Amino acid sequence: MSHPSRTLLGLAAAATLGAGLACASASAATLEVSALQRNGKPLAGAVITLEAQPPLLPPIAPLQAVIDQVGLAFAPDVLVVPVNSSVRFPNSDAVSHQVYSFSPARKFQLPLYRGKPYPPVTFDEPGIVTLGCNIHDRMLAYIVVTAAPFFGRTDAAGHWSASELPAGRYQLTLWHPLLHEAQVPGQVVEVSREQESVELRLTKPLRPAPLTGRPHSWDY
Amino acid sequence: MGLLKTTTLGMLLASATHAAVAADWRLAVDLRAMQSDGRDSFLENGQGKLRFDDEDEGIRLGRLYAAIDAPLGESFAVHVEGSTWDDDKNPFDLTEAWLEYRPVPRAGFKPRLRLGAFYPPMSLESRAVGWETPYTITPSAIGSWIGEELRTVGLESQVDWLGTRLGHSLDLQFTAALFGWNDPAGTMLATHGFALHDRQTTLFGRVGAPQSDPTLAKKELFHEMDDRPGFYVGAQASWHDRAVLNVLRYDNRADPSVFDAAINDFAWLTKFDAAALRLEGSEGWTAILQALDGDTWIAPGPWLRWRFDSQSALLAKRFGAHMFAARYDAFAVEFRDNPRAWGSEVGHAWTVAYTLDRGGPWRLALEWLRVTSDVRARIPLGESPLATESKIEFSARYTLSGSL
Repeated sequence: MSHPSRTLLGLAAAATLGAGLACASASAATLEVSALQRNGKPLAGAVITLEAQPPLLPPIAPLQAVIDQVGLAFAPDVLVVPVNSSVRFPNSDAVSHQVYSFSPARKFQLPLYRGKPYPPVTFDEPGIVTLGCNIHDRMLAYIVVTAAPFFGRTDAAGHWSASELPAGRYQLTLWHPLLHEAQVPGQVVEVSREQESVELRLTKPLRPAPLTGRPHSWDY
Repeated sequence: MGLLKTTTLGMLLASATHAAVAADWRLAVDLRAMQSDGRDSFLENGQGKLRFDDEDEGIRLGRLYAAIDAPLGESFAVHVEGSTWDDDKNPFDLTEAWLEYRPVPRAGFKPRLRLGAFYPPMSLESRAVGWETPYTITPSAIGSWIGEELRTVGLESQVDWLGTRLGHSLDLQFTAALFGWNDPAGTMLATHGFALHDRQTTLFGRVGAPQSDPTLAKKELFHEMDDRPGFYVGAQASWHDRAVLNVLRYDNRADPSVFDAAINDFAWLTKFDAAALRLEGSEGWTAILQALDGDTWIAPGPWLRWRFDSQSALLAKRFGAHMFAARYDAFAVEFRDNPRAWGSEVGHAWTVAYTLDRGGPWRLALEWLRVTSDVRARIPLGESPLATESKIEFSARYTLSGSL
């Protein structure tokens, strides 16, 4: 049996949400985000999340995603999923892998395997989960688990956009695997007009990208 | 070597019985075509610096290599590798074999224990399968010496701090090991000095040593003589994989007064410091600097000391599957602080190599190497102490790999 005050609060939240959605249909807006490195070059592949302030919209429904292991690398090496999503980790390589994460957002390990012997792993807490393989130290991937209702990654030109946004205040955040900043850059944006645009520019250069292209017989 | 043999056989057996779980194997044959004006090779008891001398011209077997990696449950694994070098007493013999404990990292720390026979972690050049250098056919003078005389037969503990996975710019590694069976280490430096070759001494094999009396046995290098364990400690720091600095302090703690008639040699007390720096850029550039500095002693009565040092600088550039590399090596051994004493030498070498590796089964390489050396031990052989030896070597290597 639910507590009366909690029910009331829930109703209040639903009412506000309803008002927000009604408002949204009246003035749905598009937000264009442009991500730039410190040197002004576009920042491709950055993870952008957008959440109403205060949070009005529920996170979008959980997804079922896949991170494959091909050629001693995770594919994709960055994945953004809504909270409570589940991810499968098949191993398409001929050699065995032993996938692990010691990130506070989700600690897990998949004992040494080939093929796809394991059920998906569920990520029920927002945060960044760093993946590794205990056999192949170079293998590295990230899962960004978010409760935000709007998220995505910037394209090659550093652009990302969200449409059908209800008007209001939003917290915008940016994350990238090579980010050097101590804090994830972001800002609060007011979405009122039909078309808003925001530029996020890093204050520090990116970290060096992992070296690629070396034959697998190196670093054996 | 009894214990070593038993341990190795046990590990082979263990890997065989667990092969059904999942084991990865690798087989490679490396053929060479050679033009060399080298003097009689140290492998044939000469004072030449090269593996293949002027009598070895033509087609030669570079190496036949076989390796197996087998997990033993979740946290243990066995690695065994062996080679055929065409000049050893055993047609096929082990170069490295170990049992490894590698639990999954926690909180950013990755511990590892190794028990068996393996190389100390000191070369940033010999990073490829089979402890080979991918940049050239012939490793540096330092790498050649490690392959010839050093092997950790013992226990090594290592802990990695995976800083970059925690958002930092550095990864750190600390290593400490206790080992035996490496008491003869130093004898080759004292008898023929540094050399430039890719022939790694096998665990149960022999390597030629220059002897005025050719009936004397070739050297057995992995032998326990004084029941005193040696040790090494090392550290490595890596900045985003772009800059790697490695340092190692090695001391085999041999008792130099011990003579073992079974191998006709003293225990050589060998201590050295080694440092290496590798810089890699995203445009395919690699630079590797290495330095080694140490001493080796025997005490047949008075203590006799050989001081040795070597440095090398390598620059390589990769263009996709193509790689060009150039390296300079300098080396010196000084007996009793006298550069003109029998047993002293000084020399340097230039190596230029091209390799083609598309990631498939074939790897082709072409190398030119010239080594100039002043070796005092050539005088008793009736040779001029000063020699310039050079070779052009073509390598075609074919690798097969798979899983059991």
